[in-house]
Amino acid sequence: MKKSLLFIVVLALVLSSVAAVSAAESKGLIYVITPSHSNPFFGSEAEIAVAKAEELGYTTKSVVHDDDANKQMELFETAIAEGAKAIILDNAGADATVSAVQKAKDAGIPTFLIDREISEEGIAAAQIVSNNYQGASMVAEYFVELMEEEGTYIELTGRDTDTNAHVRSQGYHDVIDEYTDMKMIAQDTANWDQTEAFEKMETMLQANPDVKGVICGNDTMALGAKAALDAAGKKDVIVMGFDGSDDVIQSIKDGGIKATGLQPVAAISIAAVEQADYYLTNGKFEKEEKQSIDCVLINAENACMYAKFAPIEGVTSCD
Amino acid sequence: MPEIKGKKANWLKIESFIMKGRAFIALIFVLIIFTIIVPNFVNSTNLVVMTKHVAIYATLAIGMTFVILTGGIDLSVGSIAGLCAMMAGGFINEGITIGSNTFYPSVPMVLILTMAIGTFCGIINGFIIAKFNVAAFIATLGMWYVARGFAQIRSNGLTFPNLVGRPELGNTGFPLLGAGSFLGVSYSIWIMLAFMLASIFITRKLPFGRHVYAIGGNEKAARMSGVSIDKTKIGVYAISGFCSSVVGLIIASQLVASHPMTGDSYEMTAIAAVVLGGASLSGGIGSIGGTVIGAFVIGILSDGLVMAGVSSFWQQVAKGIVIVFAVIIDQVQRRLQERVSLSQQVEEKENA
Repeated sequence: MKKSLLFIVVLALVLSSVAAVSAAESKGLIYVITPSHSNPFFGSEAEIAVAKAEELGYTTKSVVHDDDANKQMELFETAIAEGAKAIILDNAGADATVSAVQKAKDAGIPTFLIDREISEEGIAAAQIVSNNYQGASMVAEYFVELMEEEGTYIELTGRDTDTNAHVRSQGYHDVIDEYTDMKMIAQDTANWDQTEAFEKMETMLQANPDVKGVICGNDTMALGAKAALDAAGKKDVIVMGFDGSDDVIQSIKDGGIKATGLQPVAAISIAAVEQADYYLTNGKFEKEEKQSIDCVLINAENACMYAKFAPIEGVTSCD
Repeated sequence: MPEIKGKKANWLKIESFIMKGRAFIALIFVLIIFTIIVPNFVNSTNLVVMTKHVAIYATLAIGMTFVILTGGIDLSVGSIAGLCAMMAGGFINEGITIGSNTFYPSVPMVLILTMAIGTFCGIINGFIIAKFNVAAFIATLGMWYVARGFAQIRSNGLTFPNLVGRPELGNTGFPLLGAGSFLGVSYSIWIMLAFMLASIFITRKLPFGRHVYAIGGNEKAARMSGVSIDKTKIGVYAISGFCSSVVGLIIASQLVASHPMTGDSYEMTAIAAVVLGGASLSGGIGSIGGTVIGAFVIGILSDGLVMAGVSSFWQQVAKGIVIVFAVIIDQVQRRLQERVSLSQQVEEKENA
């Protein structure tokens, strides 16, 4: 019994020390809701938004919905009950998110969407996304260039329920399909997931051992595919991803993955927080709802100039 | 020295009483902690919101309690909830097509059809377990895959958006289930309360409830004394499937959209709530009231950790510790009970 009491006390201490937040002189609470931080893309996105909001004098809470729309709804209700001033959201599904954002709006809390859009306009305060189509076309053009306009390739697409998966695939194909000697020999979804991409790539290699290139809907899948290719001794296969995560940038520097489309995550997160601040200070919206920010192509020539989804200050060349 | 022994026995009785109410103690414990570290934690709005979140897990866990009381397990509840959400979404947005005719069922009809589908999935689980003697873990794991697969097949992986129905088709009003309230309390909370009271009645007063406990306590003995094992087993899985379908409906209604991954991994939360509530995974021990309190512990822990600003990774650690800790207490309690009954026997002997 004594031991269990001790355990309870220790747990209480741990919990309370983790949660020691001082609310003094804050301009209010901003909730940052994103998918799980186990993908560094979302981790950086949340981190940057939190840093910016705290710099502007807000208290913040950074929570994750794990791509579960019901959990996202619960987080919204908690944020409303807690009296949050604004919500920065990377959502859990274009259709399934509408009611949650509407609920916040009804409670007088503006939601600033980042990275992913929702299927309706006029509910969110802003929808700031990277220009996925422009980014994908850019990656595809470089892909075609390295492939020397001919040969077989495999495409790994993102989760079917995610609009970005389709937009990126469309962007790839609008460019690549112009070249009649480029042949797609397999296409499948790996659900944005590294392990799944690894397994799918291994399976696809059995059927298509001579593949020349692999183009992926995001960086985690590109890393999974690259690992499978390396394990099979096919280090020359051209692999490209999308997102611009630090892991892939490192791989580009090491001569592994060839290129990725860097999403301006830092710029998006900062824009969302600044616009939230503008609204909370001035009572009106700074910009129109739908906004997009262009992506940047990262390859061996400029990989060392970027980290954490943003240009590194003061680094202007890789020499 | 009977006097000292008597005192010792009393102390043991108190200890064992504390242990029996462990879910309740855990509940008070998490409430106190969060009241201290989270400003505004205890106010009526927040408590209602948290209860609403708890209602979803509690409803699943009530169904799960019946299954666990028989010594079984139901891993398919989250998937069945997902399938039912998709079926309901499909009925509203696409109607039912038979041949070349499409008709749109009214909302009450949608609810009944969906609950029938969930119950049917449960009956299949129970049938396979009872008639083919398949381990519950395997049979419901199969349903976990199959139901999730069908949920995605239904829409090809897409979400059914905007489930408001159309007035000209007479199928409006579905969002009311999730958004509506009676006396200021959401329907989902009333549903949980109704399920709780009905289940307490079933487990305490009806022969079916006694059979459930009997099977979990000792299946052979129950069979000998004429309990219909197969019917009871099919019954408990049907109840669990029914509860899952209701949860699927509530989630789809709250979101005004149904997503094929609805309810993913909720079975773990439901099982944790049942175990926290004092049930034994080997069957025969547990109660509906305990399960509901267990669901409250988990729900308040989840929401409280969010409000306390604890990072999501630490939230998982905290939840895991609380669940395992509760089961450790469970084992301590068993041993204490044995000691209490032993010391009582000793006392009686010495008095005699």
